[in-house]
Amino acid sequence: MSTLIDLRIAAVGDIHLGEDVRGQYRKKLEGIEDRADIFLLAGDLTRHGTLDEGKVVADELRGLTIPVVAVLGNHDYHSDLQYEIAAELRDAGVVVLDDDGAVVQCGEHKLGVVGGKGFGGGFAGKCASEFGEREIKNFVAHTRYIAEAWKVALKEIVADHRVVVSHYSPIKETLEGEPPEIYPFLGSYLLAEAVDTAGADLIVHGHAHKGSEKGMTPGGIRVRNVALPVLRRAYGIYCMGESEHF
Amino acid sequence: MEAPQYVAARVQQALAEDGRTHELGIRVDIRGDQLFLRGQVSGAEQRERLGQVAHEAAPELRVHNEIKVVDFSEPGEDEHLD
Repeated sequence: MSTLIDLRIAAVGDIHLGEDVRGQYRKKLEGIEDRADIFLLAGDLTRHGTLDEGKVVADELRGLTIPVVAVLGNHDYHSDLQYEIAAELRDAGVVVLDDDGAVVQCGEHKLGVVGGKGFGGGFAGKCASEFGEREIKNFVAHTRYIAEAWKVALKEIVADHRVVVSHYSPIKETLEGEPPEIYPFLGSYLLAEAVDTAGADLIVHGHAHKGSEKGMTPGGIRVRNVALPVLRRAYGIYCMGESEHF
Repeated sequence: MEAPQYVAARVQQALAEDGRTHELGIRVDIRGDQLFLRGQVSGAEQRERLGQVAHEAAPELRVHNEIKVVDFSEPGEDEHLD
């Protein structure tokens, strides 16, 4: 089989930048426009979610000549400045998703990108449910709300390919290496269920630094944990081909 | 004497909640009067801050800071999702 006109997706999460490492990640992005058609960031771009850290991230990403699409992670929410950080990133030309979607022209391809931070709750058979105390109900309802928003956005988007960017994981497989006791804080099967229902070609996420790179949803959608400590490279590159002849 | 498990939990909580660090994925182990920190962070300064916060949270213990700074390479090989 040969493939023509690959769509090359660069992705990374959990870069956790701060003033003391300013400029270092940017050096690793040199030449990214030759290697990939789009750059996706799967959250935890900062350490404490401060505006100063957000500005460092914006400066590292500013001026890249390929489209850059990002979601925020739990660290980016810590100082309650997520909207201000998102505004800094947008000012630097980054598309920031917040449980919605965007269609990005990547060469000859229209790529639909849907996503957001995601949230936890656990995985089928070992997860929290909307029952009991208000706090638990709110926790699960937050994930359910997000999953529903992604499903709607995926169904509405018109594109050649569809990719989901999340911070939290939609499956357990890419958490392997993390203590099982904390899985409910690392992701939720509701995210995978929503994407399986609406359809997509790939899901990338971060959050689980000790997890594993590769997995698959119950519906067969490829999932990649692109957290920097998992990849151990500046970003992963995932290619989708237009399979034109066999 | 406080059980070492509670001391380790307190140190781990300090690493996550202290404004200087906010680091969630650090493993804390205590053996006798020694405290071991393990995990990965994005910069050398963050590693030093974690050692300092751990020391302040458990000043009676000798801190061994075995945290590694994430060393990442060039992008490497593409993966084709056929």
